[in-house]
Amino acid sequence: MASPRELPRYVLFAGLPGLLLAMFIIAYPLWRVLALSVADVSRFGKVRGFVGLENYTNILTDYEFLACVVRSLVWTAGVVGGTIFISIPVAIILARDFYGRGLARVIVMLPWAVSLTMMAIIWRWILNGEFGMLNHSLRGLGALDNNVVWLAEAATAFPLQIMIGVLVSVPFATTILLGGLSSVPDDLYEAAAIEGASDWRQHLTLTLPLLRPFIKIAIVLNVIYVFNSFPIIWVTTQGGPGNGTDILVTYLYKLAFRFGKMGDAAVVSLAMFILLMGLTWLYVKLTTKNEPAQA
Amino acid sequence: MSRRKLRRTWLSWLALSPLVVASLFPFAVLLSSALKSPEEIHDIPPRWIPLEVTWENFITMWDDVGFGQALVNSLVVCGLTVLFTLILAVPLAYVMSRSRSQKTKFAQTFLLLTQMVPPMVLVLGLFQLAIALGLVDTLSSLILIYTGFFLAFAAWMMRSYIDSIPYELEEAAMLEGASRLRLLIQIVVPLALPAIAVTAIFTFINAWNEFVLALTMLRSDDKYTLTIQIFSQVGGRYVIAWHHVMAATAAAVVPVAIVFAMIQKYMVRGLTMGAVK
Repeated sequence: MASPRELPRYVLFAGLPGLLLAMFIIAYPLWRVLALSVADVSRFGKVRGFVGLENYTNILTDYEFLACVVRSLVWTAGVVGGTIFISIPVAIILARDFYGRGLARVIVMLPWAVSLTMMAIIWRWILNGEFGMLNHSLRGLGALDNNVVWLAEAATAFPLQIMIGVLVSVPFATTILLGGLSSVPDDLYEAAAIEGASDWRQHLTLTLPLLRPFIKIAIVLNVIYVFNSFPIIWVTTQGGPGNGTDILVTYLYKLAFRFGKMGDAAVVSLAMFILLMGLTWLYVKLTTKNEPAQA
Repeated sequence: MSRRKLRRTWLSWLALSPLVVASLFPFAVLLSSALKSPEEIHDIPPRWIPLEVTWENFITMWDDVGFGQALVNSLVVCGLTVLFTLILAVPLAYVMSRSRSQKTKFAQTFLLLTQMVPPMVLVLGLFQLAIALGLVDTLSSLILIYTGFFLAFAAWMMRSYIDSIPYELEEAAMLEGASRLRLLIQIVVPLALPAIAVTAIFTFINAWNEFVLALTMLRSDDKYTLTIQIFSQVGGRYVIAWHHVMAATAAAVVPVAIVFAMIQKYMVRGLTMGAVK
């Protein structure tokens, strides 16, 4: 596995172009965002002068920004919470043998195979007030008397966006948890069964504790992905009506490319970047803790 | 025992049924709507099974949605992104796997961290990069940025595979007088071919599905990638030709979905990157 001695220098250099590009593609934009955050910037991104912390105070006193922070938290907690809540039982079911399990796995994983943008486009059609299949199906079930124009109001649009987010996130979380379950030795269950523990008891006392590290990883990774997820909300409502379904990412996009407030948008970017670094640090801590020093 | 399995089958499907319905729902709507005529798609109430199955949407949407040009754009962007990513990431993965110096260890950790930065957070700065390079509204801007962002993932995925190729093989070849370059080309690359192929496919799909950057960089519709082109038929329009949108979506989604389903299990390894072993 590991090499017995260090590689000659020219071999190391072969890896350099890739490393440099990967660094550049992060470092340059980050530096630009920093520069923009303290600058007076025209709509087209031209820096007109230095304004110090003006953009920062702009954003921190912007009611819309604060509302977006709250909505981002609700969005992330809702999607990740819902995803984990569904994924744990689903993974436990899929980990044990039953007839048609292969088919069940394919169906559960299916939403993952389609890009978020395309999924959101389909859902926008499903949620159509007049011709959409959600109204039709709910009315068929007797759960609804009149058509609802789901996306016309934030009060109905936002929860549905969270639901779509959950549906597309379940496959990934389930896969992580399935990976964790496959590491649980079968004889552990057999021993528990011999002791007379019911299926239910086995899962509560054996599976869940063993799954815990994987649940943590699934939560942190999902928080990172979901917090920064743009397509579902942008495609279905573009953050509207009003700013009723805007989260930080969509607000950031609007500030920069709709309203031409590049400086303010840069401040939002930085705030998100710092938060992200914190989460990444948490992820690295979680994943390296149970791993002995790498050979 | 088999009766127990039968009972478990019932319970399992029963418990999974809400999720199964919710997962299949959009796909059912996609197919049903793509096969309806423009008149029938506006029938109230809507039907699941079209009265008359029409394949015509797939032909008429080609021009109406501008599918052909967008498809070419997407293929160019994704193909070149894969090419450049592999050219840069294969040697990088090799160095990451074989070197033991502290500096390369540090570089690896750094690459892992960059993986966590979504382009969304830096979209402003990336747009400025495109301006600085004069690449706004070009496919090249996307190829450059995608390559930069997907490289780390690609290198990490291939690294873990190269780790499993015994170094003794290379040492033996070196005793025979083979150069390092020949080692890489004649031993490492052929042996790592499965990993390289999987990495290439992932990179392709990632680029194929990317939304925010393409939306930001591309300004004129003859440059749009497929995702953006289809989105542009929906976003900000008063009248939406849903039968065409659904047909175009189905045409764009189905091939990728099939490939994805085939190689999905490898994806998890890459995404969780050593965390799940």
